[in-house]
Amino acid sequence: MQIISFLFEKHLDKTVLVIAVILSILMLSADDDSQINSARAISSFLLYPVDRASSYFSDMEQLKEENLRLRELAATLHHERERLTQFREERNRLRQLLGFRKDSFFEFIPCEVTARSSNIFHHSVTVDRGKGSGIKVGMAVVGYRGLVGRVVQVFGSSSRVLLLNNKSMSVSCLDKRSRVVGMLNWERGNLFRLDFIGREEDVLQGDTLITSGFGKILPKGFPVGTVFQVAEEKTELSMRVSVVCMTELNTLEELFIVVGGRDWDSEDIFNRLDIVKDPAR
Amino acid sequence: MTLIRAIVAAFVVFILQVTVVHRMSVVGARPDLMLVLLVVFVLDRNPVMAIIIGFSLGFLQDLGNASFLGMNALAKSLIGYGIARYASGFLPENIFFKSLLILVASLVSSIIVLNIMSTFNPLTVLVSFFRHSILSAVYSALVGVVVFLILKLFPRRVVRSGGRY
Repeated sequence: MQIISFLFEKHLDKTVLVIAVILSILMLSADDDSQINSARAISSFLLYPVDRASSYFSDMEQLKEENLRLRELAATLHHERERLTQFREERNRLRQLLGFRKDSFFEFIPCEVTARSSNIFHHSVTVDRGKGSGIKVGMAVVGYRGLVGRVVQVFGSSSRVLLLNNKSMSVSCLDKRSRVVGMLNWERGNLFRLDFIGREEDVLQGDTLITSGFGKILPKGFPVGTVFQVAEEKTELSMRVSVVCMTELNTLEELFIVVGGRDWDSEDIFNRLDIVKDPAR
Repeated sequence: MTLIRAIVAAFVVFILQVTVVHRMSVVGARPDLMLVLLVVFVLDRNPVMAIIIGFSLGFLQDLGNASFLGMNALAKSLIGYGIARYASGFLPENIFFKSLLILVASLVSSIIVLNIMSTFNPLTVLVSFFRHSILSAVYSALVGVVVFLILKLFPRRVVRSGGRY
């Protein structure tokens, strides 16, 4: 009792200070993470509304900055586009002088995927554009990053698109760097194989493959995939070129149907394709 | 100042400290608003109350940075006690001296905090003290001048209410 009286009556301030210091040291020396986690939970509970309000304003600042950057980019791209348009016209003039066909440029119709096939070897999707939008069989379909397939069936207001990851689909591709041509075939998942590549041909890991435009079914120049492995085949005559597709084909949502770049009405190949029986049907 | 007002003030300053102060950073220095509030609260209080206030404010500040739970509680308890025990009553009624008190308190707080964070490594403490703490202490003192000027407008209701909480 005397000690308590001594501590809490005569030296109350020092006693309280010692208690506060001991409490602080105990908190500091606690190696149990649960205490810290509890503290974090309390502080986040207290700060949640303020954090929300604060992040709203900081987001606004970020949006303003981003908007400014995008305006600058848009202005730069606008000038760049003007310059490239002039180059295009000049190129067309020169091609005409040399007797080449006049080059035309692609037009895209945006569409949304409305259904997917359930067959694991026959991947296709249905999109919400059909004859009413001018879609024809054979038209190429691209995603944001590159080619995803081509239209194989057209209905009134929808179309079926055969995807690249389909056993019945081969795409003639060109190595963007070395211009080596090969035939792209699906293997599994998002992996493809580039066939008919001789062992002396110049294909390297990291090369981008684009559509070759051969056969006039798919337009030339759309990115398709990236070479991720090059190995010699056992026969030693050809190389095994593994390719990963540019677009994740299992998560397609928005696509673009390529309607420009060709005079579709006069190209009878696509009309003929209309009547060719779809092998997957 | 009633207890409720004090608690509200503590929470408002805590929220400002955690959310706004990092945007007021000048050459890496940030004011310690909780310390300014501590000085405002404990001036003319008895040491026991000053320790409790210091511990509470420090603990609240620790909640905002839970990596070192107890660090600010320790520093502010000691500072609260020091101010109430040795500065209150002797300090002239002058904003300059009160701001000087904040400057000293901020430096002491930095020394305690830096020692805990660096596990008593004198070189780290010394470098961080000269690199960050002095400027932050000056910044806190300047904020203190503003706070005391504002409080001077409401002397009876806020600073010299004489009420105990």
